[in-house]
Amino acid sequence: MNANQLLAAGTPTGPHGQHFGIGLLLLALVVLGSIGYGAMRLNDHRRRNRRPRPDTKPAPPTPAPAAAAPEPSRPRPVPTRPNGGWAVETHGLTKRFGPTVAVDDVELLVPRGSAFGYLGPNGAGKTTLIRTLLGLTRANAGTMSLFGTPVPLERSRALARVGAIVDEPRFHPHLTGRDNLRLLAAARGGAADQRIDPSLARVGLADRAGDKVATYSMGMRQRLGVAACLLADPELLMLDEPMNGLDPAGMQEMRAMIASLTDEGRTVMLSSHLLDEVERTCDAVAIVDHGRVIRQGPIDELIRGAGTMVIQVDCAEPARAKKLIDEAGIAAGTALARNGLTVTLPAGAGREAVADLNRRLVRAEIDVYGLREVQTSLEDWFLSVTSRLGEAS
Amino acid sequence: MTTTESSLSPERSGAPEPGRRAAPATGAWLPTWGLITTKNLEIRKRRGLMITMVVLIIVPTVLFYGLRLIFHAVDPAGYGVAGSPQFFSQSTNLIDEFGFIAAAALGAAAGTTDLSDGMFRHLVITGRSRLALYLARIPAGLAVLVPLVALAFLMNSLVTSYQSPPNPTTASFFSVTAPDNLNQAELKTFMLQHEQQVINGFLPGLPVGPGTGNPTPAQVTSAIDQNIASYYSNYTAAEISQSTPPVNEMAKIGLWLELDVGIAFLVGLGFGSLTGQRTTTIIVMVAFEIIVTPLLAHSQLPYFIDGQRLILGVAMDQLRPAALAAASGPGQGGGGGILFGGRGAIGFPPMPTWAMLSVIVGWIVAWSGIGAWRMMTRDA
Repeated sequence: MNANQLLAAGTPTGPHGQHFGIGLLLLALVVLGSIGYGAMRLNDHRRRNRRPRPDTKPAPPTPAPAAAAPEPSRPRPVPTRPNGGWAVETHGLTKRFGPTVAVDDVELLVPRGSAFGYLGPNGAGKTTLIRTLLGLTRANAGTMSLFGTPVPLERSRALARVGAIVDEPRFHPHLTGRDNLRLLAAARGGAADQRIDPSLARVGLADRAGDKVATYSMGMRQRLGVAACLLADPELLMLDEPMNGLDPAGMQEMRAMIASLTDEGRTVMLSSHLLDEVERTCDAVAIVDHGRVIRQGPIDELIRGAGTMVIQVDCAEPARAKKLIDEAGIAAGTALARNGLTVTLPAGAGREAVADLNRRLVRAEIDVYGLREVQTSLEDWFLSVTSRLGEAS
Repeated sequence: MTTTESSLSPERSGAPEPGRRAAPATGAWLPTWGLITTKNLEIRKRRGLMITMVVLIIVPTVLFYGLRLIFHAVDPAGYGVAGSPQFFSQSTNLIDEFGFIAAAALGAAAGTTDLSDGMFRHLVITGRSRLALYLARIPAGLAVLVPLVALAFLMNSLVTSYQSPPNPTTASFFSVTAPDNLNQAELKTFMLQHEQQVINGFLPGLPVGPGTGNPTPAQVTSAIDQNIASYYSNYTAAEISQSTPPVNEMAKIGLWLELDVGIAFLVGLGFGSLTGQRTTTIIVMVAFEIIVTPLLAHSQLPYFIDGQRLILGVAMDQLRPAALAAASGPGQGGGGGILFGGRGAIGFPPMPTWAMLSVIVGWIVAWSGIGAWRMMTRDA
């Protein structure tokens, strides 16, 4: 017998097959159980994400804690649908982490082609909302769509036209900026690969594209994040706190970048806790607190719609003037200021109320040197809204 | 940052319209070639990981044979040739053990680095199917692992083929030296003709021992009759272990080696994807390979033998090619002999072919399934 014959020679199997069969049966039971459990979870997941039929009411959201449910009786304004439609549309969107409700019954409408700010204090649920919209985490209730494409049902189709930076942009540090983009372009498919160099040039990273990301500054990583967004030639960009970590020059560049993107007709939705930045950058805004959207719409309309008008009164005897106005009950609030008196007129008050205020002061023989309307900024308005929330809670 | 370029796409004019561009088919579960190659690039550019892979897979073989070649070149009389069937087996086992650990580390890295580097989120945002993202890691990682193992094994095979002594014309088992290439009947005839050798060899089954004296010719004949199958098994094992494996057997061993490290990679990938933690995954895999498997493979626990057979290493040993099994020495072969000439290298009762295949396929499918499931359900 030669070596090959020897190698091919076998020996009979042992007598333990029947015992092995029992062991394998147990293994099969475990595997089948796991498959069953997985199917159950999948079914549950699909049921949760199923769009409600038109004739059925969505499941009621879990009641939020008192602090997160301001003005429950206030009806939600229904913005009129813009010509281009909504870039982002959510209804009753809710995301919970255990007992914590991070996104609470959010009704959000982002007009196509706008720069939209999602504004709220730290921990308000801004990032969670973006993560939910992008399918990075699953919603517990509600529906959402991007350009009318339901998410997560048709997530791949919806996200093909979306670029996003969520949290601090991080990349493989051992790869160059260009290689990281190649990785993402391969995942994007289509013509994304051809957009790598133009994207890098557009964000000003062409010269450093061959350097490892580990050597990049925070601002450069932010810019690489924007370049990654641009690979999709996106119609919608979601930028989560895009100004974080940027120096003033970087912030200015980012503002210019966002403006140029909206000029091209793209929709930019950015979340921020920086009121000033949102006011400078965005056309429309949604204010979020404790996971709930409490106001949304164009910034100027929101500020006007806040209703109050603040008048700076430059007069003699400001203390007596304050007493007079308080007793007359024509103001929502008065306050003595260093250079006179500040009078807050009630919601809906117009120019007549200013004239009436002047008449009363003159009749009381208080010399009036000037009346000036104080322009309300988004910050003032935001603080007034959130302070009301604080009082409500 | 420059914002001078008005548009990325030359055809863009004005506001994008819904559905203006056809979205790439990113929802398909099958990974694209581009996805695989870029993932492979990401793995290859991890310098530390690549150095670890080379140190674990290539360096042991280089050292093992390099030193032997040098010693033999310097002092041929004092040091024999570098290769031999025994060294071939030892070196293969070395590649297998270190290769398993390297493959597990590679799998763990492939399964966790997107997550730890923060790229997982970017990848999910592209809309690409998460299953496709997971599946792309398999060929990308194997494209790194398989050539390294093949290179180490090629060195092993070349040294064995060209630096081994000539094959012996006899085979020794239990101190019996018989000519090569006997079949069972010829071996029986030989043993009956050389009774003294058989008696001196204290073969199992012979009535020899303290105070028993020499067995009679009738007792020797009876013992040979009854135990010839066992003697023949040991004879063939000795014959194989003392011969340089032929090329086809080497190819078979190479494939077995690639299968073993390939499974280790898949398990590491799945386990890494499940835990999301590279270090934990590697520690558990190393402990499994060097502590749990040897413990359960080299001892038979009463009433738990079927449980022991569910261990990957036990099933893989069953498939171990005969040349490797026999090189463990006479009597060590598990006696599998059930598929592709596999015999089993450990003293463990064999399992049926279907059972062995079920365990091996089960490990591959189960861990790939677990890893893919976690990838698809993980929050990014």
